[in-house]
Amino acid sequence: MKLLALIKKEFRRFFHDPRLLLTVVLPGLFIFALYSVIGSAISGNATYEYNVYVVGQSQVVSAIEATVKESGSTVRWLNGSEEEARKAIEERQADACLVFSDQFDTAASGAQVELIYDLSNEKSSAFSSVASPVLHAYGMRFSFVATSVTDEQNFGREVIANMIPVLVVAFVFSACMSVTLESVAGEKERGTLGTILATSVKRSQIALGKVIPLSCIAALGAASSFLGVMLSMPKLMGMNLATVAGSYGFVSYLFIFLLILSFVPLIVSAVTAVSTYSRTVKEASGYTSVIMILVMVVSLVTSFISAGDWFVAVPVLNSVLAIEAILRGNIMVWQTLVSVAANIVYTALLVLLIARMFSSERIMFRK
Amino acid sequence: MSDIISQDSHSFFKQEVVRAENLRKTFLLSRKQQRLEKTNAKRKIAVDGLSFSAFGGEIYGLLGPNGAGKTTTLRMLSTLIRPEGGDAFILGHSICKDPAKVRDCIGFMTGELRLEGFFTPDYLFDFFGAMHGIDKNALHERKEMLFRKFGIDRFREVKVSELSTGMAQKVSLVVSIVHDPEVIIFDEPTNGLDVLTAKVVTDFLAELKAMGKSVLLSTHIFSLVEKLCDRVGIIIDGKMTAEGTLEELCGGASLEDTFFRIYRGIKGDTL
Repeated sequence: MKLLALIKKEFRRFFHDPRLLLTVVLPGLFIFALYSVIGSAISGNATYEYNVYVVGQSQVVSAIEATVKESGSTVRWLNGSEEEARKAIEERQADACLVFSDQFDTAASGAQVELIYDLSNEKSSAFSSVASPVLHAYGMRFSFVATSVTDEQNFGREVIANMIPVLVVAFVFSACMSVTLESVAGEKERGTLGTILATSVKRSQIALGKVIPLSCIAALGAASSFLGVMLSMPKLMGMNLATVAGSYGFVSYLFIFLLILSFVPLIVSAVTAVSTYSRTVKEASGYTSVIMILVMVVSLVTSFISAGDWFVAVPVLNSVLAIEAILRGNIMVWQTLVSVAANIVYTALLVLLIARMFSSERIMFRK
Repeated sequence: MSDIISQDSHSFFKQEVVRAENLRKTFLLSRKQQRLEKTNAKRKIAVDGLSFSAFGGEIYGLLGPNGAGKTTTLRMLSTLIRPEGGDAFILGHSICKDPAKVRDCIGFMTGELRLEGFFTPDYLFDFFGAMHGIDKNALHERKEMLFRKFGIDRFREVKVSELSTGMAQKVSLVVSIVHDPEVIIFDEPTNGLDVLTAKVVTDFLAELKAMGKSVLLSTHIFSLVEKLCDRVGIIIDGKMTAEGTLEELCGGASLEDTFFRIYRGIKGDTL
């Protein structure tokens, strides 16, 4: 009952204060708006000359050229074989290739056009985005195939596997910071935590009464930021997110969910411990910034180290590497489960530490 | 039946509800504090072997100048800080060995402990009631009674941060006794209050005494002690220098004169 009252108090403090609520929801909206604007600016404003091979003939190329010109860019048509074109696209010497079947414009049936491009090349993807609607709208019956020289799913997976774990860590940490500093160091600074300590409620309950609701709120904040990135990705990267997201199975999502679910309380506990130790929000903010830098470094170095099995014991690193592996399609069951278990154990240890800190007059009542 | 009650309450009035035995507490001095105090000592003795007893149904006042160790003593008794030596017992529970039980039977109010300004008195009363494990129905009845008595009912849904200082102090007082404790410990209960609120508080302390509660308060206001306290302990430099009823201590003189006579006897003429 006491623990429930403590949890409810944190939720009430948070959800009844529009300013605090905004600090959690705003980053997601801000990221979405910013990334979308950047994405539009990259694809919309730059003038560029596309190098496009044409194999066969059709009048539709002039319609494509006109549409490209409308967006402020130009097209240089190149002649060559399909093989030459593919090689050039792979080597990024050309942006795309249009392969028309014989007598494309006059054939009564069986007309076919293939658009070859490179999904991993931003300009090539942009040309595909412009040319595809023109081809679809061309007033005749034909089959149209758009083929990327790189595998769309693999490319998407690679991008996501490199980006998502770092973003998860960054968003979780910043969400934890924004709610925990105010709730713990703020209460300590204002003297309101001492009033709770003067009651008979157990210190471990006070610690859990902070960590549980703050983890939920931080998870909400991290989810908001995460959604902001994911929804703006199609504009920013020119990727079809649904294709990539659909390539992961239920187990992948379940494991990622478990990892994040165990990672959030760990970070909240760490920030709570630091906030409990600090005398003021300002002091706590200083210490937490240092920890955030360390955590971000750990999450970024994963690309440069070849981690053995020992990584499962290292907080942050274990979650980042496990999420990376899952997103690359290499689910490592035992490593993931041990990482989740390790996060839970570290969180429990931190909660015990926080409870001890609440009992320490040197920490709680020093001037 | 009435005989039983009267015998029980009579025995409670004689019962020793607070017993402090040789309490000792020191604080580490920072370099700045060492310079200000003109000392090389690394620790300052805040409470030095303090012993006293308070009985059921009485108001016991700890009187002393600023820095005498009154607040430190009350904070030790309320288990917020631990004594380095000695022990104290509240209704038989040791503050060192059984702090949770002590916290359950005391109500503690001090200016250092505040209420979250974001919440309303109504919510805070319920919250602290839950912290003490009070049954919902009993809590509701007690809330209505105390809110009416202190005139909080009209402000029950106003955030504490938007209340006047006096009203916020009343809310703090009411919240500190949400669990109807037997022993009430108040540190400078009338500090910073306007005359009207101070009167409400002093009247309530007298009422608590009439209800058989034991009140332990610290103050440096002579008139408050003279008006309310049954017995008083004078603390100077962390030591109990005199203790007894007002009559025993003053012998007909005013408390102020008696205090300064004792003070000069220890510290010399320097005030």
